[in-house]
Amino acid sequence: MSITKDHIGGLVFLCLSVAYGYYAGQIPLLPGDEYEPFNAQSLPSALAIIGGVLSIALLVTADRSVEGRLKLAGYDFWLVAKLLLLVSLFAMALPWMGFTLSTILFLVGGYWLLGVRSIKTLLVASVPFAVVLWFLLSQLLDIYLAPGRFFTLMLGV
Amino acid sequence: MWDGILTGLTTAVMPFNLLMVVVGCFAGTFIGMLPGLGPISAVALMIPITYGLDPASGIILMAGVYYGAVFGGSTSSILINAPGCASTVVTAFDGYPMAQQNKAGKALALAAYSSFTGGTIGAIILLFAAPALASVSLSFQSGDYFALMLLGLTAVAAFSGKGQVIKALLMTVFGLMIATVGTDITSGTTRFTFGSVDLIDGVSFLLLAMATFALTEVVMTVMRGQHNEQEPEMDMAALGSMKLSREEVKEVAPTIGRSSVFGFIVGVLPGAGATIASFLAYGLERNLASAKEKLKFGKGALRGLAAPESANNAASTGSFVPLLTLGIPGSGTTAIMLGALIAYGIQPGPRLFMDNPDVFWSVIISMYIGNLVLLILNLPLIPYISRLLAIPRPILIPLILFFSITGVYLVSFNTFDIQMMVLITVIAIFLKLLEFPMAPMLLGFILGGIMEKNLGRALTMTDGSFSFLWDRPLTLTITLIAVFVLLFPLLSAMIGKARTRGAEVAVNEGEG
Repeated sequence: MSITKDHIGGLVFLCLSVAYGYYAGQIPLLPGDEYEPFNAQSLPSALAIIGGVLSIALLVTADRSVEGRLKLAGYDFWLVAKLLLLVSLFAMALPWMGFTLSTILFLVGGYWLLGVRSIKTLLVASVPFAVVLWFLLSQLLDIYLAPGRFFTLMLGV
Repeated sequence: MWDGILTGLTTAVMPFNLLMVVVGCFAGTFIGMLPGLGPISAVALMIPITYGLDPASGIILMAGVYYGAVFGGSTSSILINAPGCASTVVTAFDGYPMAQQNKAGKALALAAYSSFTGGTIGAIILLFAAPALASVSLSFQSGDYFALMLLGLTAVAAFSGKGQVIKALLMTVFGLMIATVGTDITSGTTRFTFGSVDLIDGVSFLLLAMATFALTEVVMTVMRGQHNEQEPEMDMAALGSMKLSREEVKEVAPTIGRSSVFGFIVGVLPGAGATIASFLAYGLERNLASAKEKLKFGKGALRGLAAPESANNAASTGSFVPLLTLGIPGSGTTAIMLGALIAYGIQPGPRLFMDNPDVFWSVIISMYIGNLVLLILNLPLIPYISRLLAIPRPILIPLILFFSITGVYLVSFNTFDIQMMVLITVIAIFLKLLEFPMAPMLLGFILGGIMEKNLGRALTMTDGSFSFLWDRPLTLTITLIAVFVLLFPLLSAMIGKARTRGAEVAVNEGEG
């Protein structure tokens, strides 16, 4: 018997349902709430049970054919990981470098990761975009975009 | 009703709202053309923009984007055999062969006329069906709402395709689980926050929609290595004539009429949506065709193109019926719109018709205007709009990524949300690799809060007894339909297996 996508999915959701059910039991209740017909634990407990039953049903009825196996060949996971890391770094850079500089760095990084190597393209496709966007948001739409903490600390502005 | 229609018409024809329809149709057409990005992603990308608008304008913009994206999907199906979304897969069956025969212009025009007629017939039926259903649903109680939501959730799972029912149900439960994160509205206690202050308000709908649709779809394109592909340049001269002859119009007119009505009915069913409508309409038309005409299907048959195009647009309109009248979305896209309406503080459902007639009617009227815009403005501009696809993918992808993440950030100004988006995207990619559908999760998440509230209210009134599900004939009927819808795929699979076994036994006995 081969381990298929259905088996993996069923097992993952079974673990999730068990963990969810455990934490559902930890939800603090107000005094007397335990005697109420419906309290903060009711729906989560029911969902944990339904999730568990459905996961088992998926495991029992799982596709056992070779075609049902999880195929990871042909996917560029490394590039996706780098792109998601870039998104995460953008989030970290925002409070420190400010909106405009973070945007430029994010876009340049994204273009570079996807294969753009021309310095001119990297700059033309990022700097005017970030500046125009900053102008639109802060000057036209009056949205406050805080300057980066780095600049306020270093330059005192 | 006529007062309402007049209010809606006044709101919809306001210059700003007309502009929103035009912008929505253009943006939707462009996004819908990009393979991999469909109406759900297109509407999700618009949410942050609509937050700055008033509810009527916001929903009008989203409806325009929805139509535009379906139309854009048809365009890429016809021109390059790359459907932008699932509901236009069938369009490619006969649309692309027509383009190969140098009849791309005719195919595009026919798709636009069919979509326009489908949308128009749909909008007219909606005009009368929605208020009628809304007035009936005014008598609904908590138990009825709970049963209706149960029906909506089970229907989405039931229509998710062969072998996908349990997976769709699991995703619905997963969505309901995510909806329980944060502060419980009745008791005020926090649930599943693990001490994090950022989770006290729960997971934001916008964040979940953007991460699971916009961000995940773009990242999946990169993962499949499609970011280096370039759309073929479309030559205006090669499109050919956009005119249809009188004979051709006569041939497709009955097809468009019946597919529109059929598509609308399928669209009204919660969970069915435009994809199922287009496949069913194509199948229906093929069955109705004579043996000689049947052979033309798949090789550039006009009826084969007109049927799915009218059906998917009529179904898109039909899916607004359960959203506007019952507060239950009929498709993934309308689920996103439901979330946006709730974010505006508007509760879709029977009260919407009474409390916010401007929103209710202007959405319906603007749908019709949207169809007109697509026909009058978008069709002649298709060769120019499609040139936007010439922007290299390595430039386009980081920009879409940027819009997805800043769309969420500019609403909350909390970088935790971006990190949360990354986490949800990783989970969504993993689930997509395991072939779990995303739309049921979003639907479960959106309906989770309202469902819990109504269930709690109904159980409190009956002192913990589930008798509210069968005490009133209306609730009992809805519950029975929900049970039937849930059991139907399982029963049909069992009957199918029994028939195969019966046939095998008969063959064996015959051989013996």
